[in-house]
Amino acid sequence: MIRNVFVDVILAAAVALVLASTVGLLAMRDTYQRVHYLTPLALVAPLLLGLAILVQSGSTVSSSLTWLALVFIVITGPFLSHATIRAIRIRETGDWRLGADAEATGDAGSPGDQP
Amino acid sequence: MNAFVAAAVAMLVAIVPCGFLLVRGTIMDAVVAYEAITAIAVMVLILLAEGFRRSGEFELPVLLAVLMFGSGLVFVRLLERWL
Repeated sequence: MIRNVFVDVILAAAVALVLASTVGLLAMRDTYQRVHYLTPLALVAPLLLGLAILVQSGSTVSSSLTWLALVFIVITGPFLSHATIRAIRIRETGDWRLGADAEATGDAGSPGDQP
Repeated sequence: MNAFVAAAVAMLVAIVPCGFLLVRGTIMDAVVAYEAITAIAVMVLILLAEGFRRSGEFELPVLLAVLMFGSGLVFVRLLERWL
C-alpha cells in the first residue's frame, strides 16, 4: 500500500516535471532559453521514472533495462544540449568562439581594450 | 488502467506543445523540440512496458535512447553549417 502511494507520487512528480518543461519550451522567447528546459526533461524526470520502477518491481531484468535506457539519456542529454547550443551559435555568427563575430565584422573593440 | 499507463498517457500530452513548437518555430527550435519528443518517447515506452507487464518490450526504449543520441548529433551537425 505504502509502496503504491510512493510510486504514484514519484510518477506524478515526473509527469508534472515533463509537462512543465514542455510548457517552458513553448513559452520561452529564443532557442537558447528553450534548450535550458531540456535539462529537467532529460535529466530529472528519467531518474524519477527509474526510481518509481525500481520501487515497483525491485531488482529485476526489467528494471535493469529501464535503468540502462535512462542512464543513457541522462549521460548523453547534456552532450546533446551542448552540441545544439554550439550549432545555434555557429549558424548565427559563423563560429562558436567568443569574439569571432566581432572579428568577422571588423570590429576590433574600443582602444582601451588594447594593452 | 494502472498508474504507469496513466503516466504514459499524461506524458504523451506533453508532446503537444513540442509539436506546436516543431511546426511553428525556427529550424533550431524544431531540433530542440525533436530532442524533447524523443526523450519523452523513451519514457513513454518504458512506462507502457511496465504498465502492461511486458518485460520483452523493455528493449525498445534502450534502442531508442541510443538512436536518439546518434540522430540528434547528426541533426545538429548538419544544421550547424550545411542546411
